[in-house]
Amino acid sequence: MATQVTEHNSITGETIVRDMTDAELAQYQLDQAEAAKEAEAEAARQAARQAVLDKLGLSADEAAALLG
Amino acid sequence: MGANAVTTVPVYTAGEVLTAADMNITNSGIPVFASTVERDAAFGGTGEKTLAEGQYAYLEDTNATQFYDGASWVSVGTTPGLVYITSATASASAALNINSCFSSTYTNYRIIYNFTASTTLELQMRLRLVTTDYSGTEYTDYGYGMGSGGAFNLQHVNTTQFTIGYVNTTEPIHGSMDIYSPNVAVKTNFSNLSGIAASIYENGRVNTTTQYDGFSLLASTGNITGTVKIYGYSNS
Repeated sequence: MATQVTEHNSITGETIVRDMTDAELAQYQLDQAEAAKEAEAEAARQAARQAVLDKLGLSADEAAALLG
Repeated sequence: MGANAVTTVPVYTAGEVLTAADMNITNSGIPVFASTVERDAAFGGTGEKTLAEGQYAYLEDTNATQFYDGASWVSVGTTPGLVYITSATASASAALNINSCFSSTYTNYRIIYNFTASTTLELQMRLRLVTTDYSGTEYTDYGYGMGSGGAFNLQHVNTTQFTIGYVNTTEPIHGSMDIYSPNVAVKTNFSNLSGIAASIYENGRVNTTTQYDGFSLLASTGNITGTVKIYGYSNS
Protein backbone atom coordinates (compact mmCIF):
# COMPACT_ATOMS: atom_id res chain seq x y z
CA MET A 1 0.00 0.00 0.00
CA ALA A 2 1.27 3.50 -0.83
CA THR A 3 2.24 5.71 2.08
CA GLN A 4 -0.69 7.97 2.85
CA VAL A 5 -1.04 11.44 4.29
CA THR A 6 -4.04 13.26 5.68
CA GLU A 7 -4.41 16.84 4.51
CA HIS A 8 -6.68 19.40 6.13
CA ASN A 9 -7.72 22.78 4.74
CA SER A 10 -8.43 25.09 7.67
CA ILE A 11 -10.40 27.55 5.55
CA THR A 12 -12.86 25.12 3.99
CA GLY A 13 -12.71 22.51 6.75
CA GLU A 14 -12.14 19.82 4.13
CA THR A 15 -9.94 16.84 5.02
CA ILE A 16 -8.67 14.38 2.44
CA VAL A 17 -6.55 11.25 2.60
CA ARG A 18 -4.20 10.78 -0.33
CA ASP A 19 -1.03 9.02 -1.39
CA MET A 20 2.21 10.92 -0.92
CA THR A 21 3.35 12.91 -3.92
CA ASP A 22 6.68 11.95 -5.50
CA ALA A 23 8.38 14.87 -3.74
CA GLU A 24 6.87 13.95 -0.38
CA LEU A 25 7.82 10.31 -0.84
CA ALA A 26 11.40 11.28 -1.70
CA GLN A 27 11.61 13.40 1.47
CA TYR A 28 10.01 10.62 3.50
CA GLN A 29 12.61 8.15 2.26
CA LEU A 30 15.37 10.64 3.07
CA ASP A 31 13.94 11.03 6.57
CA GLN A 32 13.81 7.26 7.03
CA ALA A 33 17.41 6.88 5.90
CA GLU A 34 18.50 9.67 8.25
CA ALA A 35 16.61 8.09 11.15
CA ALA A 36 18.23 4.72 10.43
CA LYS A 37 21.65 6.36 10.36
CA GLU A 38 21.00 8.06 13.69
CA ALA A 39 19.78 4.80 15.22
CA GLU A 40 22.94 3.06 14.03
CA ALA A 41 25.11 5.81 15.47
CA GLU A 42 23.28 5.61 18.79
CA ALA A 43 23.66 1.82 18.88
CA ALA A 44 27.37 2.21 18.18
CA ARG A 45 27.68 4.77 21.02
CA GLN A 46 25.92 2.39 23.40
CA ALA A 47 28.11 -0.54 22.31
CA ALA A 48 31.29 1.51 22.82
CA ARG A 49 30.05 2.58 26.25
CA GLN A 50 29.26 -1.00 27.21
CA ALA A 51 32.68 -2.14 26.00
CA VAL A 52 34.35 0.35 28.34
CA LEU A 53 32.14 -0.76 31.23
CA ASP A 54 32.95 -4.41 30.50
CA LYS A 55 36.65 -3.61 30.47
CA LEU A 56 36.29 -1.93 33.86
CA GLY A 57 34.05 -4.67 35.19
CA LEU A 58 31.31 -2.18 36.10
CA SER A 59 27.58 -2.39 35.64
CA ALA A 60 25.70 0.57 34.15
CA ASP A 61 24.27 1.40 37.61
CA GLU A 62 27.71 1.32 39.16
CA ALA A 63 29.05 3.60 36.44
CA ALA A 64 26.15 6.00 36.97
CA ALA A 65 26.80 6.02 40.72
CA LEU A 66 30.48 6.67 40.09
CA LEU A 67 29.83 9.57 37.74
CA GLY A 68 26.75 10.77 39.66
CA MET B 1 -35.66 44.63 11.95
CA GLY B 2 -36.43 41.50 13.95
CA ALA B 3 -39.65 40.85 15.87
CA ASN B 4 -38.20 42.17 19.12
CA ALA B 5 -36.62 45.30 17.68
CA VAL B 6 -37.92 48.65 18.90
CA THR B 7 -37.47 52.18 17.68
CA THR B 8 -38.23 53.99 20.93
CA VAL B 9 -37.71 53.59 24.65
CA PRO B 10 -40.79 55.36 25.98
CA VAL B 11 -41.43 57.09 29.25
CA TYR B 12 -44.99 57.43 30.58
CA THR B 13 -46.69 60.21 32.46
CA ALA B 14 -48.80 59.85 35.58
CA GLY B 15 -52.35 58.83 34.74
CA GLU B 16 -51.55 57.91 31.16
CA VAL B 17 -53.58 55.02 29.73
CA LEU B 18 -51.20 52.36 28.39
CA THR B 19 -51.98 50.37 25.26
CA ALA B 20 -50.94 46.78 24.55
CA ALA B 21 -48.25 48.13 22.24
CA ASP B 22 -46.91 50.30 25.07
CA MET B 23 -46.75 47.27 27.35
CA ASN B 24 -45.07 45.11 24.71
CA ILE B 25 -42.27 47.65 24.42
CA THR B 26 -42.03 48.03 28.16
CA ASN B 27 -41.88 44.27 28.71
CA SER B 28 -39.32 43.59 26.04
CA GLY B 29 -36.41 43.58 28.50
CA ILE B 30 -33.20 44.84 26.99
CA PRO B 31 -34.39 46.87 23.98
CA VAL B 32 -33.37 45.43 20.63
CA PHE B 33 -32.29 47.77 17.84
CA ALA B 34 -31.42 47.12 14.24
CA SER B 35 -28.18 49.10 14.59
CA THR B 36 -26.59 51.97 16.51
CA VAL B 37 -28.56 54.41 14.33
CA GLU B 38 -31.92 53.17 15.66
CA ARG B 39 -30.46 52.88 19.18
CA ASP B 40 -29.28 56.48 19.24
CA ALA B 41 -32.58 57.74 17.85
CA ALA B 42 -34.61 55.89 20.49
CA PHE B 43 -33.62 58.00 23.47
CA GLY B 44 -34.18 61.60 24.41
CA GLY B 45 -36.97 62.42 21.98
CA THR B 46 -40.49 63.41 22.85
CA GLY B 47 -42.06 60.65 24.95
CA GLU B 48 -38.74 58.77 25.16
CA LYS B 49 -36.47 58.09 28.11
CA THR B 50 -33.44 60.24 28.56
CA LEU B 51 -30.35 58.13 27.97
CA ALA B 52 -28.61 57.57 31.29
CA GLU B 53 -25.95 55.38 32.87
CA GLY B 54 -26.96 51.73 33.18
CA GLN B 55 -29.14 51.56 30.06
CA TYR B 56 -28.71 48.32 28.08
CA ALA B 57 -29.24 47.72 24.38
CA TYR B 58 -28.88 44.80 21.95
CA LEU B 59 -27.80 45.42 18.35
CA GLU B 60 -29.02 43.05 15.67
CA ASP B 61 -26.43 43.93 13.04
CA THR B 62 -23.43 43.06 15.23
CA ASN B 63 -25.11 40.69 17.72
CA ALA B 64 -23.69 42.85 20.50
CA THR B 65 -25.08 43.60 23.93
CA GLN B 66 -24.07 47.02 25.19
CA PHE B 67 -24.53 49.25 28.22
CA TYR B 68 -24.28 53.01 28.50
CA ASP B 69 -21.64 54.08 31.04
CA GLY B 70 -22.78 57.68 31.22
CA ALA B 71 -20.55 58.84 28.39
CA SER B 72 -20.60 56.13 25.71
CA TRP B 73 -21.89 52.68 24.81
CA VAL B 74 -19.68 49.80 25.97
CA SER B 75 -19.94 46.22 24.74
CA VAL B 76 -20.68 43.60 27.36
CA GLY B 77 -18.27 40.72 27.71
CA THR B 78 -14.73 40.38 26.46
CA THR B 79 -13.06 38.81 23.48
CA PRO B 80 -11.96 35.27 24.43
CA GLY B 81 -8.24 34.85 24.95
CA LEU B 82 -8.09 31.66 22.92
CA VAL B 83 -10.12 31.33 19.75
CA TYR B 84 -10.74 27.97 18.12
CA ILE B 85 -9.49 27.86 14.53
CA THR B 86 -9.73 24.29 13.30
CA SER B 87 -9.18 20.62 14.07
CA ALA B 88 -8.31 17.58 12.01
CA THR B 89 -8.14 13.85 12.47
CA ALA B 90 -5.73 11.37 10.91
CA SER B 91 -6.28 7.64 10.71
CA ALA B 92 -3.21 5.47 10.04
CA SER B 93 -1.42 8.26 8.19
CA ALA B 94 2.30 8.89 7.84
CA ALA B 95 1.59 12.61 8.12
CA LEU B 96 -1.19 15.00 9.05
CA ASN B 97 -0.89 18.25 7.11
CA ILE B 98 -2.74 21.34 8.33
CA ASN B 99 -2.98 24.06 5.69
CA SER B 100 -3.96 27.73 6.08
CA CYS B 101 -4.33 27.69 9.87
CA PHE B 102 -1.82 30.50 10.52
CA SER B 103 -2.69 33.99 9.31
CA SER B 104 -2.33 37.64 10.23
CA THR B 105 -5.43 37.35 12.44
CA TYR B 106 -3.36 35.97 15.32
CA THR B 107 0.32 36.24 16.20
CA ASN B 108 0.62 33.21 18.50
CA TYR B 109 -1.14 29.85 18.52
CA ARG B 110 -1.87 26.88 20.77
CA ILE B 111 -1.79 23.39 19.25
CA ILE B 112 -3.26 20.47 21.19
CA TYR B 113 -2.61 16.96 19.89
CA ASN B 114 -3.42 13.37 20.79
CA PHE B 115 -2.17 10.38 18.78
CA THR B 116 -1.69 6.66 18.91
CA ALA B 117 0.96 5.00 16.79
CA SER B 118 1.33 1.84 14.73
CA THR B 119 4.84 1.29 16.13
CA THR B 120 7.38 3.03 18.34
CA LEU B 121 8.06 6.35 16.68
CA GLU B 122 9.00 9.98 17.05
CA LEU B 123 6.27 12.53 16.45
CA GLN B 124 7.84 15.24 14.33
CA MET B 125 6.74 18.58 12.96
CA ARG B 126 7.49 20.79 9.99
CA LEU B 127 6.15 24.20 9.07
CA ARG B 128 4.32 24.59 5.77
CA LEU B 129 3.76 27.29 3.21
CA VAL B 130 1.17 27.00 0.43
CA THR B 131 0.55 23.29 1.11
CA THR B 132 4.25 22.36 1.04
CA ASP B 133 6.48 21.37 3.97
CA TYR B 134 9.62 23.37 4.57
CA SER B 135 12.28 20.68 5.01
CA GLY B 136 15.47 22.73 5.10
CA THR B 137 18.06 21.91 7.77
CA GLU B 138 17.06 24.84 9.94
CA TYR B 139 14.96 23.28 12.69
CA THR B 140 16.49 23.28 16.16
CA ASP B 141 14.97 22.10 19.42
CA TYR B 142 16.37 21.65 22.90
CA GLY B 143 14.74 20.15 25.94
CA TYR B 144 14.56 17.52 28.60
CA GLY B 145 12.77 14.23 28.80
CA MET B 146 12.00 11.50 31.28
CA GLY B 147 11.02 8.00 30.34
CA SER B 148 11.18 4.46 31.66
CA GLY B 149 14.94 4.49 31.00
CA GLY B 150 15.46 7.65 33.05
CA ALA B 151 16.15 11.27 32.20
CA PHE B 152 17.59 12.34 28.88
CA ASN B 153 18.39 15.47 26.94
CA LEU B 154 16.82 16.51 23.66
CA GLN B 155 19.12 18.30 21.30
CA HIS B 156 18.38 18.49 17.59
CA VAL B 157 20.41 21.19 15.90
CA ASN B 158 19.79 22.29 12.31
CA THR B 159 17.76 19.24 11.41
CA THR B 160 14.98 18.96 8.84
CA GLN B 161 12.13 18.84 11.39
CA PHE B 162 11.24 19.36 15.03
CA THR B 163 10.96 16.31 17.27
CA ILE B 164 8.00 16.99 19.55
CA GLY B 165 7.43 13.67 21.28
CA TYR B 166 7.64 9.90 21.49
CA VAL B 167 4.85 7.39 21.17
CA ASN B 168 4.52 3.64 20.98
CA THR B 169 1.78 1.10 20.47
CA THR B 170 0.74 1.05 24.13
CA GLU B 171 1.42 4.64 25.21
CA PRO B 172 -0.43 7.29 23.20
CA ILE B 173 0.98 10.78 23.05
CA HIS B 174 -0.81 13.92 24.14
CA GLY B 175 0.75 17.32 23.92
CA SER B 176 0.35 21.05 23.98
CA MET B 177 2.45 23.46 21.95
CA ASP B 178 2.56 27.23 21.90
CA ILE B 179 3.95 28.45 18.59
CA TYR B 180 5.04 32.04 18.29
CA SER B 181 4.74 34.24 15.19
CA PRO B 182 4.58 31.52 12.53
CA ASN B 183 2.90 33.94 10.09
CA VAL B 184 5.10 36.93 10.93
CA ALA B 185 8.35 37.67 9.08
CA VAL B 186 10.50 36.70 12.06
CA LYS B 187 11.93 33.36 13.16
CA THR B 188 9.22 31.05 14.45
CA ASN B 189 9.70 29.71 17.97
CA PHE B 190 7.78 27.18 20.02
CA SER B 191 7.41 25.70 23.49
CA ASN B 192 6.11 22.17 23.76
CA LEU B 193 5.03 19.72 26.47
CA SER B 194 4.20 16.13 25.59
CA GLY B 195 3.91 12.67 27.13
CA ILE B 196 3.53 9.89 28.19
CA ALA B 197 5.81 7.27 26.55
CA ALA B 198 8.36 9.90 27.43
CA SER B 199 7.54 13.15 29.15
CA ILE B 200 9.06 16.04 27.20
CA TYR B 201 9.63 19.72 27.83
CA GLU B 202 11.33 21.57 25.02
CA ASN B 203 11.74 24.81 23.12
CA GLY B 204 12.75 25.32 19.53
CA ARG B 205 12.88 27.57 16.53
CA VAL B 206 13.20 27.44 12.79
CA ASN B 207 16.01 29.62 11.50
CA THR B 208 14.01 31.32 8.75
CA THR B 209 11.80 34.41 8.65
CA THR B 210 9.28 32.85 6.27
CA GLN B 211 5.62 33.62 6.99
CA TYR B 212 4.33 30.06 7.28
CA ASP B 213 0.61 29.32 6.97
CA GLY B 214 0.46 25.72 8.18
CA PHE B 215 2.30 22.77 9.63
CA SER B 216 2.56 19.02 9.37
CA LEU B 217 2.81 16.37 12.04
CA LEU B 218 4.91 13.46 10.89
CA ALA B 219 5.46 9.89 12.01
CA SER B 220 9.20 9.15 11.92
CA THR B 221 8.20 5.64 10.85
CA GLY B 222 4.89 3.79 10.59
CA ASN B 223 1.81 5.94 11.03
CA ILE B 224 -0.29 7.89 13.49
CA THR B 225 -3.97 8.03 14.36
CA GLY B 226 -5.49 10.91 16.27
CA THR B 227 -6.54 14.52 16.40
CA VAL B 228 -4.99 17.96 16.45
CA LYS B 229 -6.78 21.18 17.43
CA ILE B 230 -5.51 24.67 16.71
CA TYR B 231 -6.40 27.86 18.57
CA GLY B 232 -5.28 31.45 18.10
CA TYR B 233 -4.30 33.76 20.96
CA SER B 234 -6.25 37.01 20.76
CA ASN B 235 -3.95 39.96 20.21
CA SER B 236 -5.98 42.23 22.49
